[in-house]
Amino acid sequence: MSGWELLLNGFANSFTTVNLVACFVGALIGTVVGVLPGLGPTATMALLLPFTIPYGATTGLIMMTGVWYGAMYGGSTTSVLINIPGEAASVVTCLDGYQMARKGRAGAALALVAIGSFAAGTLGLVGLQFLAPLLGQAALSFGPPEFLAFMLLAFVLLANLSAEAPLKGALMIALGLFLSAIGINPMDSYPRFTFGTEKLMLGIDFLPIAMGLFGISEILTIAVEKYVKPAVAKVRVRELYPSGDEMKRSVFPMLRGSVLGFFVGLLPGPSTVISTFVAYAVEKRLSRRPDEFGHGAVEGVVAPESANNSAVMGSMIPLLTLGIPFAAPSAIMLAGLRMHNVEPGPMMFTSNPDVFWTFIAAMYLGNLMLLVLNLPLVGAFAKIATIRPQILLPIISVICLVGIYSVRNAFFDVWVMIAAGVSGFFLRKWHYPIAPFIIGIVLGPTTENSLRQTLIMFKGDLALIVERPLATTLLTIAVAFIAYRVFVRVRGRSRLIAVEEGKGL
Amino acid sequence: MSGKPAFGLDAAFALVILAIGGVIAYVSWGYGFGSMGRPGPGLYPFFVGIAIALAALFTLAGVLRTSDPHPVLDTEGARTFAIMTATFCFWVLAMPVLGYVAVTLISTIVFAKAVRLEGWRKPLAVAAGTALFIYLLFDVWLYIDLPRGIWQ
Repeated sequence: MSGWELLLNGFANSFTTVNLVACFVGALIGTVVGVLPGLGPTATMALLLPFTIPYGATTGLIMMTGVWYGAMYGGSTTSVLINIPGEAASVVTCLDGYQMARKGRAGAALALVAIGSFAAGTLGLVGLQFLAPLLGQAALSFGPPEFLAFMLLAFVLLANLSAEAPLKGALMIALGLFLSAIGINPMDSYPRFTFGTEKLMLGIDFLPIAMGLFGISEILTIAVEKYVKPAVAKVRVRELYPSGDEMKRSVFPMLRGSVLGFFVGLLPGPSTVISTFVAYAVEKRLSRRPDEFGHGAVEGVVAPESANNSAVMGSMIPLLTLGIPFAAPSAIMLAGLRMHNVEPGPMMFTSNPDVFWTFIAAMYLGNLMLLVLNLPLVGAFAKIATIRPQILLPIISVICLVGIYSVRNAFFDVWVMIAAGVSGFFLRKWHYPIAPFIIGIVLGPTTENSLRQTLIMFKGDLALIVERPLATTLLTIAVAFIAYRVFVRVRGRSRLIAVEEGKGL
Repeated sequence: MSGKPAFGLDAAFALVILAIGGVIAYVSWGYGFGSMGRPGPGLYPFFVGIAIALAALFTLAGVLRTSDPHPVLDTEGARTFAIMTATFCFWVLAMPVLGYVAVTLISTIVFAKAVRLEGWRKPLAVAAGTALFIYLLFDVWLYIDLPRGIWQ
């Protein structure tokens, strides 16, 4: 079957009641979560994962992506109306979005955000639809050395892009890799770090850790903070019409943000967040009115919001083609797919093509649903933002507890979640990034298998990796990146010393 | 806590992780390395342990240089944190005895009071609503067998 036939088939599959409902519920919950400051899409996806188990891999994937995608839409609502980003990828939108609201253009800003998000999401999907199968085909030539090199490059980039201090990022990845090594090793059936406990033989389950680190630790963080009631700018439906000039000024930033976001999405780390900063900087540099930025420039709202939606689609590529998640939400998706015995990667396009194509088709529909949902209901979503955490936190706390218990009816999982939540709280306070830890857990088994298979393949002589051009290239990029970071750091320090010496004179 | 502590909790954390890295490497050594051409089960975790220890060592050095003099939690925050954590633990310990409905009601009320939801009417209403939601979602819709404790 050709790509178009497979896509049509995907549309036919996605037009089932259960998939449409999953798409709608995911998009709606995602939007609400995006609107609410605090609980992010990763925690919500982890929380919802157990509920998708009875409905199959495709439905689960559709719902998870709906949440992630919806959060990108919803996050901007609070940025524009109350100057508080609903989630990290909407921080940049506050700069000009809130200024537009102060000038009485809140409705126009929200409409442009919704249209930009829709256009970027659609363009991102087109990119995913065409590139993923091609890259999946290319990834078939990946052997263990290539996977190992790719993994090492991903870790280097992840440590550098996720944390203020790359060493903290590297430490979190290594801790994640260790945690995944607990239990019986599938390669030689040898139990490791189980300390004779039967519960640890199968390893530590991913879900309680993810729920604890992203859910419970967020609850604890919000609970100890002092709450200040936000003032919400009013929006009437008739105000939701951008002027002709605003529309004209939005077209190219929308397109540039979409393309840029998609490619930034391919990078490891918080790509949705990074894409917004890059898109904003690019627009400011290209603009004929750079002094308007920060004072309500339309471009400063549309470009970042287009970029973060497109980045979601870009970051699906490494997950679907290589089975390697580069961001925390895609790590949750991988865990979800594995719960359904679907292993994403190059073979998925031949072994489970319906999963991929139904997912693509459902996301086209989901994107449309989000546009329809977000434009007229923007006032309702803005009201949700004013619900006090004192009411939400007790409810979410209990749902997390019951949710994780219900997966395996195991109190052990609840203890793991609580321990992970308390640890996550302090890790956040001390500026340790959580996402590299989660990605380390998910990629641990693949990393170990790739390393051991490579050693067996090369009979212990790792120098033979130079005979594999792709692996050598990937490792060279990783080494060059580390060298560059060290160079920048050393140069920065020597400049600082020079400045201090100058002051001393 | 005032002034700049030379060795705060964050430094202690990095030190503990450093020790854990060392223990992982030591225990992995015992699992056997095999040979490079035929790696054993201890090889990979050994290197991971070394990586943890090294990263923790450099992080510790950085933390000691830039230690934050402010405590992670003020008195009120510490109180909220302690009550929330204790309630999470209570939920697990009391569930087999009291059953999910009673535990949900009690935990939700305590959570609500911990996060300063004023009065008693609102916490009770939130608790009742949450218990009903849990019953409908998990018990009625998803058929999850939640412990009923003494009410069984």
